[in-house]
Amino acid sequence: MFLTFALITLAGAVALVFQRNLVVAGLCLVLSFAGVAGLFLLLGNPVAAALQVIVYSGAIVVLLLFVIMLLNEHREEPALRPRPLQRWLSVLVTVAMGAGAVRLVFHSALLRGLDRGGPPVPMALDRLGVALFRDHLVAFEAAGLLLLAAMVGAVSLVKRDL
Amino acid sequence: MTTAGSILQGGLPGYILVAMLLLLIGLATVLCRRSVLVQFMGVELMLNAANVALVAFARFRGGDVQGTVFYLFIIAVAACEAAVGLALVVGLYRHRQSTDTDRADALKQ
Repeated sequence: MFLTFALITLAGAVALVFQRNLVVAGLCLVLSFAGVAGLFLLLGNPVAAALQVIVYSGAIVVLLLFVIMLLNEHREEPALRPRPLQRWLSVLVTVAMGAGAVRLVFHSALLRGLDRGGPPVPMALDRLGVALFRDHLVAFEAAGLLLLAAMVGAVSLVKRDL
Repeated sequence: MTTAGSILQGGLPGYILVAMLLLLIGLATVLCRRSVLVQFMGVELMLNAANVALVAFARFRGGDVQGTVFYLFIIAVAACEAAVGLALVVGLYRHRQSTDTDRADALKQ
């Protein structure tokens, strides 16, 4: 079950890298987010899984697809000039970091020590609410203010004459 | 239990490996693609990788609630970033009729 969702997540992400059509790339992103939501379910966190589906593959991707369709430009334009050095350098850096990540996970004794089995404790919504509104109330209000500021900023950026 | 067996059965190393690979694929998207919209999708993938790692660590700490709280804040910041970032893309397209980062490499038009 874990392998299925992990493969769905990574396959969606890899398809995003190689997809030329922007709308299909957005749908690959939805696939990847759905895989992440499945991983959250396996981790015993249905709250995070529901939020992942609603906010990420719902709101953010829909906004992204709307902008793609608004811009009337569904595929990448041809490159102005080829940049082979930068392209190969970025591929090389990414592959090297990937190899490093795999090596790190396979050789980390610390990670193995944290890996305690047992059935997952389901995340209860009441515990989350108590933690959010008792211990993190200031941060919660700040997040609300940040959302308002972002909304005002986005409107003022897009509007031609305010 | 070996690390490979733990990954196959969905232990903590498996989730961390998925998170790291997701982050690197997002990084590759940002580095290799020219369209600013696809680069934005890569940034979203990288944010999601952080979320996977957070929720996985929280679950293996015995269902810690702080991981989910941080996940909520990351979602709020990601929503802000999406709104402002896409507004900037629309503004860029109005100025240059293009979302290609190679065609928008100078502040002056």
